[in-house]
This record gives sequence, structure tokens and C-alpha cells, in this order.
Amino acid sequence: MITYSIEDLHVLFKNNQINPKNYYDELFKEVVFQQKRLNAFVTVTKDKAYEDLKDAHFHSLLSGIPFVLKDNYNTKGILTTASSKMLSDYIPVYNAHVVDQLKKAGCCLVGKASMDELGMGGTNKTALTGPVLNPWDSSRIAGGSSGGSAAVVASGLVPFALGSDTGDSIRKPAGFCGIVGFKPTWGRISRYGLIPYASSLDTVGAFTRNIRDMCIVMEAMAGRDDRDMTSSMREVPCYLNNLTDDISDLKIAVLTSVSDEIRNPDILSNFQFVVKTYKKLGATVENVTMPVELMRSILPTYTIIANSEATSNHSCLDGIKYGNRQDGETPDEIMIHSRTDGFSDHIKRRFILGNLALASENQERMFRKAQKVRRLIVEELNKIYEDYDIILTPNSGSVAPLLEDANDDRLNDEYIILENHLCLGNFAGTPSLTLPSGFVDGMPIAVNVMGRLFEEQTVLNCAYALEKVLGLANQYSREG
Amino acid sequence: MNYEQVIGLEVHCELKTHSKMFSSSAVTFGQKPNTMINEVDLGMPGNMPVLNKRGVEYAIRVCHALHMDIDELLCFDRKNYYYADLPKGFQITQNQRPIGRNGYIDIDVDGERKRIEIERLHMEEDTCKQFHFHDFSLLDYNRAGIPLIEIVTRPHIRSGKQAAAYLEKLRQILLYTDVSDAKMEEGSMRCDVNISIRPFGSDKFGIRTEIKNLNSISNVQKAIEYEALRQEKVLDKGGEVLQETRRFDETCKKTVVMRAKGGAVDYKYYTEPNILPIRLDHNWVIKIKEDLPMLADERVEKYIHEYGLSSTNAHILVASKEISDFYEETIQYCHEYQLVCNWLLGDVQAYLNKNDMTINETKLTPQYLGKIVQFIQDNIISSKQAKKVFDELMVTGKDPEIIIEEKGMKQISDPSMLLSIINEVLDTNEQSIQDYKAGKDRAIGYLVGQIMKKTRGQANPKVTNQLLMKLLKERISDE
Repeated sequence: MITYSIEDLHVLFKNNQINPKNYYDELFKEVVFQQKRLNAFVTVTKDKAYEDLKDAHFHSLLSGIPFVLKDNYNTKGILTTASSKMLSDYIPVYNAHVVDQLKKAGCCLVGKASMDELGMGGTNKTALTGPVLNPWDSSRIAGGSSGGSAAVVASGLVPFALGSDTGDSIRKPAGFCGIVGFKPTWGRISRYGLIPYASSLDTVGAFTRNIRDMCIVMEAMAGRDDRDMTSSMREVPCYLNNLTDDISDLKIAVLTSVSDEIRNPDILSNFQFVVKTYKKLGATVENVTMPVELMRSILPTYTIIANSEATSNHSCLDGIKYGNRQDGETPDEIMIHSRTDGFSDHIKRRFILGNLALASENQERMFRKAQKVRRLIVEELNKIYEDYDIILTPNSGSVAPLLEDANDDRLNDEYIILENHLCLGNFAGTPSLTLPSGFVDGMPIAVNVMGRLFEEQTVLNCAYALEKVLGLANQYSREG
Repeated sequence: MNYEQVIGLEVHCELKTHSKMFSSSAVTFGQKPNTMINEVDLGMPGNMPVLNKRGVEYAIRVCHALHMDIDELLCFDRKNYYYADLPKGFQITQNQRPIGRNGYIDIDVDGERKRIEIERLHMEEDTCKQFHFHDFSLLDYNRAGIPLIEIVTRPHIRSGKQAAAYLEKLRQILLYTDVSDAKMEEGSMRCDVNISIRPFGSDKFGIRTEIKNLNSISNVQKAIEYEALRQEKVLDKGGEVLQETRRFDETCKKTVVMRAKGGAVDYKYYTEPNILPIRLDHNWVIKIKEDLPMLADERVEKYIHEYGLSSTNAHILVASKEISDFYEETIQYCHEYQLVCNWLLGDVQAYLNKNDMTINETKLTPQYLGKIVQFIQDNIISSKQAKKVFDELMVTGKDPEIIIEEKGMKQISDPSMLLSIINEVLDTNEQSIQDYKAGKDRAIGYLVGQIMKKTRGQANPKVTNQLLMKLLKERISDE
């Protein structure tokens, strides 16, 4: 099969230059191959894709376009596991809001992608179906938690896939896989039907291979949904029509509290090149810092808030109404046995941590304190946003780790800031986009641009200008 | 030793909104199990709450009626615990900031007025209903998510009688604000009792027990009276009251242990992340107060002072909201306040008692009752005829006007029509005129009888009498 962007594929379909049915036949052949290589899918929804294709008229940009969902989006009648044993046979009775939106836009569902169990992880090694491998080097991880979605886009199977982002679950794997990953403003897209991790941080987002495609996908999903009270009433701009690479009036803050932590010289010089490029493009680029103690508290703050909310969000998984029910003499026993059997150990550890932080005797000094620290961090960010439109950081201090090296223990000094700073966007709810910026040792690396609340357009423009200079749009790796 | 009872009540009340507190499922009763549900009510992963505005409005109504301070920043919390009847694994409630604080209800017990202070009123959602069988249980999620308000008193209640009076008054308020059916037997109003005792004069609290499973106001009173006595006996014997949850066993009229309180559940409350705090429009809150339906106490005042009813009658009318509402509507059609009241508390009530019906189940409408009373007042029919009309109406549901027409009951009150008839009668009964002249008053009775016979009873007695006297006197003086 040939890999196209959304726009190119749309034109080809519309002008009958390729036969959609044949295209999908080839696509599913390639899916079989890539699944063996990358293990990115939980479910391949071939029948559903052909069924969706029947309704496609190819007049609008997304009509007939293939896509993949992270397996934590509810799909009516289609297995939705969130990569957890607990939900290994869960078939939802309803669609997530964004699933309905994309169906309305004419998209065709190709499959449900693997993820870290319930979204809780950064390696995609905790998925029930096993780790997802990196399309650029299958001895390495794709990253997590939206690893499967990143891999299907980076291997050129589909032009876009949905992920969800609670800490950096879209942006980290996007960087590791050399594609674009966008977490818009919290409240920009309805979360209704997204199996939650931590509600105050969870954000619906997407992977594409270029910025223009990202504009198209965002426009299709953003906007008020009355079933999610936290979704915004603000009008959705025409991101694609408004897209410009003229960023001469943009003010960009380079957050050196993060970039100063880079140890890898190649990654450092790439980042410096990006900074220089932005200056050349006419933007005002200046260095800013944040207090180091706040930067070092990002991970513990995240850990406490995310796990506390998660333990409550996942209390519905008790084996009583659906899911993996185990026997017991009493309802309490059924719940205990079901949860003991249904969650893996690392999930249980996180639930225990969350419960500890919420327990009434600890809540003040753990959960509430974490919320206070979160507010302090956001206040500090807002100070930067008083003077700057964009905060620029490296996406990660390394390329995608080898499968055997990858773990979620990021507490050591080398990583405490550099591998956790993307959480800033979740704490503040601000739009944050990762795009490829080069290669180190044959593996893609990336930078991140983060804007003010609801200023998606500024973020997209800023990324678009860089993408044009770097020429890394539409890259993918089918083999390697 | 003499003891004082210290009692606090927690009342849960289901609101009769159209849809559930946080989902669009319908609120209904008596439907087939698990038919009024969606993914929110079942706690399916990925569901999100949407707050029911009507639920908030109803809660505010009750807050106003209970004279409470209203928190115009609406906040919700999660109460986390595992239980088979709890779909989401948490209940959305208001822990930190209840919508209402510091209210009261005045009760009258044994001729004394007492103010029962109410600490808080908050909104939450109901759980699903469990049915336990020998070796299995069934769950009905139709109830899951139905809006609830919880109303908590300060421990100011001192007897079972006071508790019953408080509940009667609260129930009346819930009914008159039109927010709930408030039926304890059906569980749309539920009451938990916290009770301890202490020696008279002591200001310390004793160890309290909680009583659940109370399905009527009289059972609340009985349970309190039993439990207070039980605690007295324990203390008098030198024992200790245990902190525990008990339930009232209706058959043996005793409270029995349900579970010991030891190792209380930590609900790990925290702010509901999917409902951001909502700043209520102050004008809306005020408007709800202005639009509040008139409460029972106010209606009693109005009935006595504006409509001139007796205090007894006024109280009997408001004892049932249905009857009181019916009265209010009837007097829109007919301003005979006393007569309408007499009819409602007399013939109508007798009919309801005899047929074991509520007024809204009958064929009577306020408009029809208004017509009947007005016809009597306008001398169109007599009271005796009115009863016949009423009986017919209750069977057929026909408009009283039509019944009167059909039965030819309409009185002849037109003097010109009556004059000719009376003259005819007088012309043929010369003897009676002479009798009357001779002072024999019963002659009048005879003449009236003749007139009635001629008109088949339709002559208006009052007008007939007046005209007859006038004509008689004329004839006598003519002679």
C-alpha cells in the first residue's frame, strides 16, 4: 500500500484516482504484516471499516479516511478493553462522543489500538496483549500509554489515530515514533465515553504525520457536547483555513529549566537548532526558567493526583455489572475476587497509592497538598504566558528506550525534570503539541510547543512554521 | 436516674424530577426492572455526569421553605465506597458545601411550640434497589441516580413525639413545595434516627445508636420510644450503650442490632472532577423563592383571615395537599369560600371515605364543584337537588349544568312566570285565602304545596314565598 496524508487521500478518492475498496484491501493486508511486526492492535475492525466505507461520499475531507482508536474509547458493539484483563470481554453499549463525531465526518474505523493498562504507564509494556514496538526499530518501545495509536500512524497504516493524554501519553510516544501528537486544551473536546484515568488531567487528542492533518482532525472533534459538562461552549475556529507559517509576531519562551537538563549532545544540538530556526523565522525567542523545586515536584504531584482520581474512576470495575466477574459467596467477595484477578500488580500498586493519598488521615498532607502544588505550578506557568505565546521544550532527553530498558521508574535525577515536564500541559490544561525535529542514531526525536488555554491555533501555526523548515512532515517507517 | 433523650434525624427524600440527577434517564416508579437506565446509571466506564437543573431548583425550593442559607457556589464531591448497590463505586454528593445550611422547622407538641434547627440540606443520587433471596440477589437500576436531598437536623429533638411532629411538618413541606411524593411506605422519604440519652442537666452527649429501616412516621416514634427505654435499662444496670446501627423490627416492635459501628468506612471524599463549581444566578435563586408554592401554614392563615373559615376547618383542609389544592382551584370558579369548604369537608369527604378514593381519582373537578355551589347560591337549584346532582356527577362525570337540564331541575325564579302560576292557584283556592285572612297560617303551606305541584317542584321557594305573600295581601285588601 502507499501511504498518504488525509488531504492527498481525500483528493485521490474524490477524483476516483484510486479505488477505495482496493485501497482498503491493501491496507488490511499491510495491517496483518504490521501487526506481526509491531503488535499495535487489540482488535482489527475490518468488517466495520468496510461498513463505514459504504456510507462514505468522499465530498468532505474525512469521508472515507481510515483511522484507529486507542482501546479506551467506547465503541458500541466493538470490544473495548483498555488493555486490561478486567475489561477483556467488555463490549460497550454506547459510543464515545468523538467516535460519533468521526463517524459523522465519514471516517472508517480500522481497529482499536493497544495501550498501557487503563492508560496507566509510559511504555506500553503493561498492555494485556503485550508490548507495542517502535516502527523505526522494533527492538525499542513505541512509548505509552497511547503506544499502539502512535505505532499505526508512524508505520504509515492510517493517516491519523486517537490517543488520550493524562501526563504525556500522546506526546511522548509521538516523539519516540517521529510523528505529530497533539493534546488540545482540557475542555476543548468532550471526554464522554473515554474510559478515564484521571479526569482532571485526561484529554482527548490525536496522532497525525503532519500539522495540516492535525487541523482537520481537531476541527472534526472539538466543540461543546452536552454530555460532558466540562466541555467548552467556545466556538471552534477553522484551524486549517487559519493555518499560517508566518510567526513573526510570536513570542516564544524557551524553558531552560527543562532544556538545561539534556545530557545527550546530539539531542541538545538538535534543540539548539530548533531555537535558532524559530529566531530565523522572525519570532521573538527568549529564555525563561521556573523554580527548580517546582520542576522537581511535577512527578510526585502528578503521581498523587492521577492515582487518587484513578482509584475512584476505576471503582466501577467491580465485576458486578460487566467485566471480568469472579465467583464469591457474598457481593463483597465477588468484588474482591474480580478486582484481584482483573488488575495487574502495577495497577494495584497505583490504586493503593491513590487510596493512601485520599485516606482521611493523609488527605490533607498528600492529595490536597498535591492539588496546592499543582496550583503553584500553574500560577508560575501563567506568569510566563503573560509575556509569551508559546513555551518551547525538548520532548524527551532520549530516543525511544530499548524494550528491556524501558520502565516507568522515572524518579532518578537524570529524568526527574526532563522526562516529566510534559505534565505541565495537563496541570494547566493548556494545548501542547509534539512534532518531530530530527534523528539521533537513526531514531526520531522531537520538540514540544505549548500555548495558552484555547489558543490551539497559535500552537498549530508555531508547529507548522517549524515543520516547513525541517521537512519532516509525513515521515513513517514500514520496516526496521 | 432520670434521662433526657438527644435525637437527630437524617431524612432522605427522592425528588420527582422528570430525569435523574446526573443522567437523562426518566424518573419513574413501578416500571419493569432495569428499563429506565443508561450507561450513566449502570456506571459503565467512560460515563460522565450532567447535573439536572430541575433537581437543583427543587432543592432550592426546599431550602427556602426551611429558611436556610443557600450556597450559591454549587460544588459536588465523590463519596467513595464499594457496595453492590452502588454502580459507579462512588456516589456524587455534596460533602464540603451543602446547598443549604442553618434552617429550621417549628413544631407544636402538647400545646408548646418548639424550633427544630436543621444543620444542612444537600443533593445526591440514589443507589440501585436490591432484592435479596435465599441464595442470590437481584438488582434494579431504575432507582440508581434518582435525585435525592438529605436533610439533617441538629440533635435538638427530645422525644419520639417531637420527632414525629417534625417529620409530619417536613413531609408537609416536601409535599407543598411539590418536589416529592414523600411516601415513607414506598421509600420516597426515608428517615434514619440518631439517638442517645443522658442524665437530665448534663450537657455531655451519651453514646448514640443509629436506627434504620423505618417505613412510617409512627414507626419512627415507636422505635425512638423503645430505643430510649432500652438505653435507660442498659445504663441503669451499669452497662454501656454500644455505638451501633440498629433496625426497627416491625413485628416485635423492637430495635435489633444490624451491625456494630467499629471500623467505620473512610469515604475518602474529594471534589467531583467532572462537575466544575457552578456559580448560581442570584436572580434565579430569588425567583425560585418568589415562585414558591404557598405552604400549608400560609394557607391556613389565608383561609382564616381572607376567607373567614374557622381555624379547625382551615387545618382540616390543608391536612391533605390534594384537598387544599382542590379547594384553591374551586374558589377560582366560585367565591363562596364557606360553602365550598362545607361541601369539600362534608359530602365530598364522605364520598371519598365511602369509596376509599382520593379526590383526584374521582370524576369531580373544581369547576364542577364550583358550579354546583354557585347554582345553590343563585337559587337555581335547592341544596337537596344539589346532592342529587352531586351523586349523578360522581357516577357519570357529567357537567352539573347538563344534569340539571336533563333532570329538569332548574328552579323557576322569574317573578313574571311565577306570578301567573300563583294567581292561577289563588283563583282556584278561594277557601285558603279566607283561611289565611282568618289567621290560619297553615293555609300558606297548602298554597305553596299547590304551586310546587303545578311547577313540579321547580318554583324557587324563596321567590315563591315572597310573591305569594304579596299577592295574598293584595287580594285581602282588595276585598
